[in-house]
Amino acid sequence: MAIMASFAYEDDFLAAARNLKSSGFDNISLLSPLPLEEAQEVLGLGKSPVRRFSLAGALIGAASGFAMAVATALVFILPTGGRAIITLPPYLVITYEMTILFGVLFTLLGFHFYSGLPAWRDKPYMEAANIDRFVVVVEGTEGEQAAQAEAIIRGAGAEEIRHVEDES
Amino acid sequence: MFDHGQPTYAEVNKDVLSTMLETGPRYWILLGTTMSVAGICFFMPWFYQLIVGVGAAGMNRNAVWGTYLSNFIFWIGLSHSGTLLSAVLHITNSHWRKSIYRSAEAMTLFSLMTAALFVMVHVGRVWFVHWSFPIPNQMGLWPNFRSPLMFDVMAITTYLTASSIFIYMGSVPDFAAVRDASTGLRRRLYTIFSFGWRGTAREWHTLGWAYTFFAVFVIPLAVSVHSIVSWDFALSIVPGLHHTIFAPYFVCGAIYSGTAGIVTVMYCLRKFLGFEKYIGQVHLDNLGKLLIALSLIWSYINILELFSSWYGGTSFELEAVRFRLTGFYAPLYWEMILFCAFVPILMFWKKFRLSWNKMLVISILINIGMLTERFIIVATSQPRKFLPDAFGFYFPSWIEIMITIGSFAIFATLFLIFIKWVPAVSIYEVKETLKPLRRDS
Repeated sequence: MAIMASFAYEDDFLAAARNLKSSGFDNISLLSPLPLEEAQEVLGLGKSPVRRFSLAGALIGAASGFAMAVATALVFILPTGGRAIITLPPYLVITYEMTILFGVLFTLLGFHFYSGLPAWRDKPYMEAANIDRFVVVVEGTEGEQAAQAEAIIRGAGAEEIRHVEDES
Repeated sequence: MFDHGQPTYAEVNKDVLSTMLETGPRYWILLGTTMSVAGICFFMPWFYQLIVGVGAAGMNRNAVWGTYLSNFIFWIGLSHSGTLLSAVLHITNSHWRKSIYRSAEAMTLFSLMTAALFVMVHVGRVWFVHWSFPIPNQMGLWPNFRSPLMFDVMAITTYLTASSIFIYMGSVPDFAAVRDASTGLRRRLYTIFSFGWRGTAREWHTLGWAYTFFAVFVIPLAVSVHSIVSWDFALSIVPGLHHTIFAPYFVCGAIYSGTAGIVTVMYCLRKFLGFEKYIGQVHLDNLGKLLIALSLIWSYINILELFSSWYGGTSFELEAVRFRLTGFYAPLYWEMILFCAFVPILMFWKKFRLSWNKMLVISILINIGMLTERFIIVATSQPRKFLPDAFGFYFPSWIEIMITIGSFAIFATLFLIFIKWVPAVSIYEVKETLKPLRRDS
């Protein structure tokens, strides 16, 4: 079972989240219609590992961009006015573009990896969370624990509380 | 920031989504018109050219580049600012960006697509265009990456990919809002588009970081794209083109025309989609100031270009300058100077800068000037290389003029389709600029 509670005010919602967290509820999701740094702090979300994907992508892009330019020149040799077959200045342009291309693509990959999206399975959700309500979801609670979570949420000023099935 | 008072969170959803979900006859008439103009003016003449060959265009032996390439530069230029401005303003945390960036980024995307079409029109045998990509083929042919044209292929492909991802990822939370507000097939489609977004703190956190990295990648990319386009010209030794100032000149011109394009698009969004509440005086004022700065830089670089040609003193460069200032296309050159260097001076006065109608006229004049600039670069330099006996003359044929007109219709068509598929104003970012929903506020 999961408890899903909506709040009209950001501060009530954050208070509920903090109290739940300090009472030992770890399996909570905080839904909001806009990004809230404080909600991320409550969950202890610091620097995102997405940046490692960006760095890895940029490095792989740089290496493969340069390698591609060199390889194509060696596979199809085109001598021009006695110039070198592998010419650094123009290949740096290709390297530069591929660095960015792969950096962007890997960042996208990192986003999907760490955000858990796409998520096609049904998860507790309230449409108002995308309009003007702040929603706390406590997943995997039963019996006494559920009653304690509900009491915390109600105490923080929840507008509506629902009990829903979850996957846990 | 809001001229008509702050809307509520729910009103933001309602106002923005209604522009997508409610479609009146005016929209269909407009879409039908732009599609017809695109078909008649762009695709039919192109089809004709495919049948009879590129000789149908006004290009000839000494003028192998024409309006197709000048339009290509124009559209690539117009694509700047959108994504670039959005990325710079995101990094610098400028709040006024939030209600205008989505449409500005869409402008980037559709300008790029239009620009790419011009490459296909220009090359003639469009069915061989894939040869410019490093794809293994039975002839063992590979692109020559020493050529600036290949730089172009890589830069534009990267820019198109990065801009598409940038606008798409920024729209994911809003796709979820569309999903929630719709039913049936549309709901199923937007469930896919939004990746099942719920708006959890983890999702926002990851998106925030990823989006910032996209912005960080996009800024140097945008600068590189137009620098590379400039090298198509500047790396040749043609008088009038062989200038080291060309890369900053093109980048500045691109951001200049792109910013003017944003003003035009914002005017249309206010007028036709009723976004007066979200796009207000602060946007106009800031864009106006940016245009003034860009116009001054652009004017300075123009003077510098003439000066360096004169100071260099070679007869070829002096002839190129003479022809540009007093030759057949001199009226176009002076029109460009009037529209891009003198008209923007009006924006120093608040009366002009804060008037939507006046700014619309100024922004259109700037882009006419910038379209002319690109034409002058192509038409007055390349056909007049070095010795007079090799001089040619370029004048666009009716096919090229039609295709130029048609390209604007293609852009308008793509934009009209966009506003029905993607929220034209970012819902969640507008909410960030509103007073927070706290008990004490």
